[in-house]
Amino acid sequence: MAQKSNKQSKRMDTPMSEKSRPVRSKKSAGIGLPLEGSGTLRLPAVAKQVPFPIEALAPKVRQQTPAVGQRATRPDGRLHGLGQTKYIDDISFPGMLYCKIKRAGISSALIKKIDTSEALAMPGVMAIITGKDIPVNSYGPSIKDQPVLADDRVFHAGDGVAAVAAITEQIAQEALEKIKVEYEPMPAVYDPFEAMKDSAHKVHAPASNIYATKLIKKGDVEKGFRESYRIFEDTFSTQMVEHVPLEPHCSIAAWDANGRLTIHSTLGRITLGRTDMARTLQLPLSRIRMVATIVGGNFGGKNEITQEPALAVLSKITGRPVKGTFTRVEEFIATTTRHPINMHYKTGVSKDGRILARKVRLVLDGGAYCSWSETTLGKACILSPGPYNIEHVHAEAFVVYTNKTMTGAMRGFGAPQVCFAYESHMDDIAEALNIDPLEIRLRNAFHEGSSSPTGQVLHSVVVKDSLLQAAERFGWKEIR
Amino acid sequence: MKKRGRGIACMWYPIGFTVAANASAAVVKVNEDGTATVLTGTVETGQGSLTVLGQIAAEELGIATDDVHVVSADTDTTPMDTGAIASRTTYVTGNAIRLAAEKAKEILFQVAAPMLGVKPEQLEARDRKIQVKNYPQRCIGIGEVANHAQFVMGQPALGSASYNPHTVSLDPETGQGKPFATYVYATQIAEVDVDDETGEVEVLRIVASHDCGTPINPMLVEGQIEGGISMGIGFALQEEMLFDKNGKQLNPNLTNYIMPTSLDMPEIEVDIVKNFDPTGPFGAKGVGEPTAVPTAAAIMNAIYNAVGARVHSLPATPEKVLAAIKVARAKQLAKPKAKALAKPKAKPAQKRLAAR
Repeated sequence: MAQKSNKQSKRMDTPMSEKSRPVRSKKSAGIGLPLEGSGTLRLPAVAKQVPFPIEALAPKVRQQTPAVGQRATRPDGRLHGLGQTKYIDDISFPGMLYCKIKRAGISSALIKKIDTSEALAMPGVMAIITGKDIPVNSYGPSIKDQPVLADDRVFHAGDGVAAVAAITEQIAQEALEKIKVEYEPMPAVYDPFEAMKDSAHKVHAPASNIYATKLIKKGDVEKGFRESYRIFEDTFSTQMVEHVPLEPHCSIAAWDANGRLTIHSTLGRITLGRTDMARTLQLPLSRIRMVATIVGGNFGGKNEITQEPALAVLSKITGRPVKGTFTRVEEFIATTTRHPINMHYKTGVSKDGRILARKVRLVLDGGAYCSWSETTLGKACILSPGPYNIEHVHAEAFVVYTNKTMTGAMRGFGAPQVCFAYESHMDDIAEALNIDPLEIRLRNAFHEGSSSPTGQVLHSVVVKDSLLQAAERFGWKEIR
Repeated sequence: MKKRGRGIACMWYPIGFTVAANASAAVVKVNEDGTATVLTGTVETGQGSLTVLGQIAAEELGIATDDVHVVSADTDTTPMDTGAIASRTTYVTGNAIRLAAEKAKEILFQVAAPMLGVKPEQLEARDRKIQVKNYPQRCIGIGEVANHAQFVMGQPALGSASYNPHTVSLDPETGQGKPFATYVYATQIAEVDVDDETGEVEVLRIVASHDCGTPINPMLVEGQIEGGISMGIGFALQEEMLFDKNGKQLNPNLTNYIMPTSLDMPEIEVDIVKNFDPTGPFGAKGVGEPTAVPTAAAIMNAIYNAVGARVHSLPATPEKVLAAIKVARAKQLAKPKAKALAKPKAKPAQKRLAAR
């Protein structure tokens, strides 16, 4: 059986390398099978039906033991390759409605009035909700400061103020235009350093804009500086970026006649997602089912609920399943992003380039809501001294509210930012002391049993191995 | 004129949450034909985690990757999992699955022991067989054992387990403690061309040497590294969300928010550093996030090496690089003798590349 399926998988894989490219023909049963006649490649308007293989297609590498260390192909690889993976947006249910969310477009304001009457009168519009329709209108992984839909305040321009369910996406989109919202603009703050001042506008008044801090202290950093041969100081900063997953956020909410809610979602963390749903909707966990499929890219952006409670409420009101799919614009304005960080480094070194003391100060732009900022703050602070043996460390970090898109989890949780700073700083030190960049890293890098900035004894440490292996492969020494 | 430069950056990165519990639970069921089904609450986010988790279960049960089917991401059927976050899936969920598979395997051993006339401790699972250690000729097919367990002994082989990384909370005053169970390490070296008239940077080559403990699936590790580098290049050179003075985004679209495409990708050479973490499943740690960590740093150091210009804020757009070049030139004019270090390095690199 294994052999036969191998043959089949080979047949399916070869055509791309064949000379004659597939052309439209009744005979083209499989995808891209070579057919008679060459001619130009014409792409069909609709993807061709691919017949399902009767026998399982298992390449040899998936059949081998032991399994660990094998370059086993992914069972979902074939589906991706054939364009047959079913993402959430590919799922639809009978009678399903489509949801669109009206975005504020103003970064700090008081909502005076929301008039939905004209939109609600449109044929095809089934329901419209606002923040007051969500039973518990707040969520967040640590600080629950984020509303599902704005209550009476707008904290950043991407805040949702109303959600529409309609029989088509088009109608839902058109209904957004007819929803009239009266705003009273409020003061705002966009720069994290401005926001840290006592006089600054408080984004979530009366709370301070500095909503979390972190401090790592090891040894005596001032003593370290006094003993140093030279001291270097520099400041680095990074920008806000988006995860940009290929698949945007998408969910479908549907209730059954027993009052049980099922959510199909692109969420990367269904366990936490279900807890958030139970809290916002005031439902027992046993009455919520959360299902995910293969997510089309997460990178940290799909770690928390977004529109799901709104979809659930719309579904309950209308008695029909409701789907919401974010547009690319919403991916940018209404989901989390990477923290811009301002990073100040002060480093004392010995004559032979050993780091004796390092003081780091990080200021993270947290945007309008906390989201995963506390985690990012902690990781960035702990990792900020770099993978180096440093006796005296002082690292402090602050994350600050601003009236901008919220920042949250993103691949690396602050590490790419601080790595840019500590490694740029390292090269500047190396040059000033006339030491090769590779050499200065080898002199300072962690080894087995090193003590981390938090005093943790490290195991399975291979920084030096990775440095030497990369240098060898690159030809670092030859080039010199 | 285009100047060539090279830059190195290394990093460390933790696996799992900072101190906070981030457990995973798993169920492994051995079917009566010796294949297995794994239940996990994690979600495949395109990185191939389900393949890796299947390989871990297969390894513990001594069967092949294809013998294992992984069911994931349904709160009605799959056990609790903290999810695809913090590069924790292979390590934490992997450990839970390994432990669950071990429990299922113990049932198989108990059933097989009298069939083979030995004690359960003397058995091992390998190559789809339950066999006597150091005497592999004495064996029974795993399917036969599983079938016997279920239909004769009435003892279906299944196991459930959970895992939570061991941490020690941080002292609130000093931040001292053990925030993470383990860390991974990596180095990336970038080679770039910088046009010193326009400030444009082209990344030519990146050598990436990453530690992930045991690579459960080297192909998927390589895939993660290549993907992470593409994200790192965007972060280094192109991507930036811009706001107007009223806090509205100026470029919330892929027309004006520029991401790297395949045409921006350099030649990538990947090495996996040999390592084994005794706390991970079969020595594995993780690789997801760290791949995107050192790329921007390596590119910035390469820019500096090429044109002597230090970029202090990302992304290093041509405007910023050109401004940094001007700063560097002004500094050089101010003290002509001291700073002639950066330039001569560039030339031999060009020679070497021409020879390649």
